[in-house]
Amino acid sequence: MGFLDIRNATKAYGSVQVLHEVDITVEEGEFLVLVGPSGCGKSTLLNMIAGLEDITSGEISIKGQPMNGVHPSKRNIAMVFQSYALYPNMTVGQNITFGLEMHGVPKTKRDQAMADVAKLLQIEPLLARKPGQLSGGQRQRVAMGRALVRNPDVFLFDEPLSNLDAKLRVDMRTEIKKLHQKLGTTIVYVTHDQIEAMTLSTRIAVMNGGYVQQLGTPKEIYDNPANLFVATFMGSPSMNLIDVTLRVEGNSVFADTTDAKGARISLPINASVNGLDGKNAILGLRPEALTDVDGSDARATQIAHVPNEVTVTEPAGSDTFVTTSFGGKDCVARMRADADAKPGERVTFAFNMDKAVLFDPETEARIA
Amino acid sequence: MMAIASTDTAIRSGRVTRTFLYLVLLLFALFYLLPFAIMVMNSMKPLDEITGGNMMAFPTDWTLEPWRKAWSEAQVGVDATGLRPYFYNSLIMAIPAVMLSTFFGALNGYVLTKWQFRGHNIVFGLLLFSCFIPFQIVLIPMARMLGIFGLAGSTGGLILVHFVYGIGFTTLYFRNYYAAFPTELIRAAQIDGAGFFRIFWRILLPSSGPIIAVSFIWQFTNIWNDFLFGASFADFSSQPMTVALNNLVQSSTGVKEYNVHFAGAIYAAIPTLLVYIVAGRYFVRGLMAGSVKG
Repeated sequence: MGFLDIRNATKAYGSVQVLHEVDITVEEGEFLVLVGPSGCGKSTLLNMIAGLEDITSGEISIKGQPMNGVHPSKRNIAMVFQSYALYPNMTVGQNITFGLEMHGVPKTKRDQAMADVAKLLQIEPLLARKPGQLSGGQRQRVAMGRALVRNPDVFLFDEPLSNLDAKLRVDMRTEIKKLHQKLGTTIVYVTHDQIEAMTLSTRIAVMNGGYVQQLGTPKEIYDNPANLFVATFMGSPSMNLIDVTLRVEGNSVFADTTDAKGARISLPINASVNGLDGKNAILGLRPEALTDVDGSDARATQIAHVPNEVTVTEPAGSDTFVTTSFGGKDCVARMRADADAKPGERVTFAFNMDKAVLFDPETEARIA
Repeated sequence: MMAIASTDTAIRSGRVTRTFLYLVLLLFALFYLLPFAIMVMNSMKPLDEITGGNMMAFPTDWTLEPWRKAWSEAQVGVDATGLRPYFYNSLIMAIPAVMLSTFFGALNGYVLTKWQFRGHNIVFGLLLFSCFIPFQIVLIPMARMLGIFGLAGSTGGLILVHFVYGIGFTTLYFRNYYAAFPTELIRAAQIDGAGFFRIFWRILLPSSGPIIAVSFIWQFTNIWNDFLFGASFADFSSQPMTVALNNLVQSSTGVKEYNVHFAGAIYAAIPTLLVYIVAGRYFVRGLMAGSVKG
């Protein structure tokens, strides 16, 4: 049994089921990110943990205590909302201590707790101001302060960074991560931003259509996606998907496809032979596993060199993204910044086949 | 060259239009102020100046005597008490009725938007009926109810009538105002451990200034100016200002003291005027809330 247990939790509005048998165990000190497109049920799940929405069936427990039907204020949780939800009529200080006041904490203790949190988040000069006088980043800090001051068992974050501008979002992301490392708190964090999910979490639950598609560490999710949805949702630019036909030759498996001119090419696959011969598949390869020859991973065991025609190059400063075509589909290769690739020219692409994954085109499930 | 010439005429014609516009507006303003000006003028001249046919002229003999008479001496009911006791009657009736209906309107709006229950829209629809049902329809049932409650012919009865009748409108105001109030704030407060009434007192009401002003002005104006309920349900001791003013003006004994009548009418208008002057800017702001910015 974990610190926060979600067992078979489902949610239905009338006959519409929006969450299907979710099973997640979170250990103490973990940073779990629920990520998925809008409408996937991630915020609903968070609200169910908070007690703001009922559980249709199943059970949610914190520290072994079943929480079904327990009022949000009695769960010892704190939540940071997307809109920050700061009380507009109260000062920052009153906002932070309101929860303590409601829980009957005496004034002197409240002030002490507020001072500690304000120091931690560096918002001491703001304590007497009203939320309307704060910038977005400052409001974000106050919202976190309001959660921190309660010293809860579980922190819940509902897309807390989505209202900030790009630069501030990256800064606050780092702050949240620092805070987690410093305090070692248990956090459940909802976002639709896969980069936030990757950078912040100790584990990720990728959700879609009310199902948890995959639960794992960021590395597992990124390197070994369970299905086509997870593979394409996580990573930017997204994973290259090449239509291939599998061919078995002795003990080796090859994935056959075509280059930009329609000529046949063969890529060696690390997979067991059983029942793959002649099967159609989708070969998934991250842009960074498809590079120029000099940029390929020296420790990779299997690298295939394939010349192909470049259609577009996008220099991004640190890398150059080179678009080409395999199996009739556009593929993006992440090359070194000064890689020699020009549109219309033929360049040799290095496939790091260690990183290649195969999906069934019908079921979209992982084959190898 | 062409462009310069055309902007030039645009500015000039803009100035002409503007001057014309202000002139028209000024005219309208004077037109609207005229009746009030005549009331003030006539309330400050001796009666013989009015009966002499100089109603539109400025007083030659300025006097506050009609004001004093209307307030404390005029024959309104059986006694020559002036309008004073009836003015107080109206205050004692209007203030509690306004506060009660505003408070319960706010509470209704809070429940109908943030604690929705099955059928909340039907309840809201039923409450709205009270905004549209003509007053006359409820007179007889209301009289019966007041009789049963033992409140017939009392200020308490009038307070109850105006309070109940006001709830429809105040609920409409507060419901629409709170519909735009972020629900995340309520959820945050729930997690913080605040209950139903604490959220209402500590978070919702302090953020409701403009709509409270709107409700207050609307209710005060309606209740203060009401004649029908006052005439139907009040007895001599609880008659409101409007009914007393009517009795003063309509009294068939003695000389018709027009200057006193004018002064009395102004007394009756002063409280609503004051409320508009003090809270009027909130009124406009509150009515616009939600339509312009969220």
